[in-house]
Amino acid sequence: MEKRQDIVLGLIFVGIGIFAAWMATSYKGASGTYPMVLGLVLTLLGATVSIKALRQPTDQPRALVNAPAKLVTAALVSTIYVALVIPLGFYTASFLLVLAMPLALGFRRLVYALTVAVVFMSLIYLVFSVLLEKPLPRELILSLNAVGG
Amino acid sequence: MEFYTNALSHVLTFGPLTAMIGATLLGVFIGALPGLNPVMAIALLLPLTYSMDPLVALAMVAGIYNGSMYGGAIPAILLRIPGTPASIATTFDGFPMADRGEASKALKIACWSSAIGGIASAIALMTMGPMLARVTLFFGPAEYFWIAIFGMASVAVMVGSDPVKGIMAAVLGLLIGTIGIDNLSGQARFTFGQTWLLGGLDLIVVLVGLYALPPVLQLAEKCDLRGLSAAQLKLADVPFKKGEIRGLIPTWLRASGIGIGVGILPGAGGNIAAFLSYNAAKNASDDPSSFGKGNPQGVAAAECGNNADNAASMIPALALGIPGNVVAALVLSALTIHGLQPGPQLFHQNPTLVGGFMMEMLITSVLIFALGGAVATRVFAQFQRLPGVLLVPTILILMCVGVYVINGRAIDLWVMLAAGFAGYFLEKVNFPLAPVILGMILGPMAEQSVRRALLISRGDVTELVTRPISAVLAAVTVLVIVWPLVKMARRRRKPVEH
Repeated sequence: MEKRQDIVLGLIFVGIGIFAAWMATSYKGASGTYPMVLGLVLTLLGATVSIKALRQPTDQPRALVNAPAKLVTAALVSTIYVALVIPLGFYTASFLLVLAMPLALGFRRLVYALTVAVVFMSLIYLVFSVLLEKPLPRELILSLNAVGG
Repeated sequence: MEFYTNALSHVLTFGPLTAMIGATLLGVFIGALPGLNPVMAIALLLPLTYSMDPLVALAMVAGIYNGSMYGGAIPAILLRIPGTPASIATTFDGFPMADRGEASKALKIACWSSAIGGIASAIALMTMGPMLARVTLFFGPAEYFWIAIFGMASVAVMVGSDPVKGIMAAVLGLLIGTIGIDNLSGQARFTFGQTWLLGGLDLIVVLVGLYALPPVLQLAEKCDLRGLSAAQLKLADVPFKKGEIRGLIPTWLRASGIGIGVGILPGAGGNIAAFLSYNAAKNASDDPSSFGKGNPQGVAAAECGNNADNAASMIPALALGIPGNVVAALVLSALTIHGLQPGPQLFHQNPTLVGGFMMEMLITSVLIFALGGAVATRVFAQFQRLPGVLLVPTILILMCVGVYVINGRAIDLWVMLAAGFAGYFLEKVNFPLAPVILGMILGPMAEQSVRRALLISRGDVTELVTRPISAVLAAVTVLVIVWPLVKMARRRRKPVEH
């Protein structure tokens, strides 16, 4: 609900503003004045948003999330991917993501997803590793091979 | 003139030329895919430009910006789905034309109109930009401070539906901009003992998170598992009637003027330019009832208007450091990445770069004629057969690789993810994100300028408003902030009086 969302939003910013202003009191001289003023202004604006929402006579419904299950799935898979990029290596984690994310969202054409994964990851490899020579997280599989060899 | 001939000699070299052609094609492709937009594409591109020559990096920004504004017309005409928010008005007459078998003609008109709007806008940028920059020679720290505040204030109150939330977003951006070591005193602020925060939050990391992750999450929510069928994308050639193209010239001239005017205004975007141009074409028409039923003038007005906004929005961005829209803010970020300070000094310190970027905006507009024709459009339309659900992981991977290569740190990936999730929910509660980025860009400039001005005046605060230019800028800034609030309060009081 819009009214409730705006009250919470305002209160969150009141919290951030007070916290920032309080932190800024420990900074010496002019380096503390500026963030302190910003913190106080943010507190004031947050309070304004909350009070305005409280005084609003009508409440317009506004969905915060359109498809909660899909959103949670996408957020969860994205978080797991970010957590795995360093331990598994960029290409391994990314290849798994291109397969896992569509499957988790209900896509069942596995060959299609696999083809896109192979073509897309080959392009990424060519652009970032061959052409631009960007250092990316090392592949675990290569490290294991090296240890095994 | 020497300013531009010198810049042109740098632009017409292999690197910038290739970048312009590639990025314009990429831009059309991005615009053609609903769910992807130029802001997201440029945000993803910026981290990759760190090691590039600034003119190559800006060539890519110019190409993607101009190309995607036209690309948005492809799904708008074929499917009544605007590829970008700026192409909403294109659906009004574009789709009815496609519905009666004139899709190819509508796409050709959209292509030519986009190119003409873009060219007119670039010429406006090239003439008005340097003139405005000349005025800034008289500016001191107090004026720079007010320019930074004016830029943030005008965008904060004009973007979104609630000016209070807009100002709150700008203040949040200013606060995020203070994280790290204070350049003037050496004091570490809001670092919580974390060494990776000493340099502050990386602008691009936050930018990619805020602008690229929310659309990805929305694509996941929509969960398009099929894509489009080949039959939906079939285009038949329809010849133009005699005098039909000549009849579009007044529409192009009118829409170009409107688009340029809207572009210069901070906060107003391509969608407003397209709507205003469309309405103006309808009002000027002998047969206004034909609009909305497949009148080619409607397509021409909307597409010319939204592309005429592009380069014009760079006028205040390049000359004053005030971005007219989010893409202009991203251009300022691109300049920051390359160690250049956006704002009034830029024209005097880096004429080749500024002039070069203006030329690139012009050349990429011309390239739309050559690269965005019916054949290319047919090819790009085919990408819409790709199920939307497959775009979710691919964009996420591009985001991660782009963010990781900036500093080679895993922590940046987490910051990006956190910024993205926050951005998703903030957008849902009508909290504008553009002022946050502007606050982060202009915040350090505002803080350093105000502290320098106070050092010069030995702590006398009146110095900020007693110089004639700074007094005018301060008054305009206060007006920009107060006026929408007064209007909002009046609007709320009205029903009570009744």
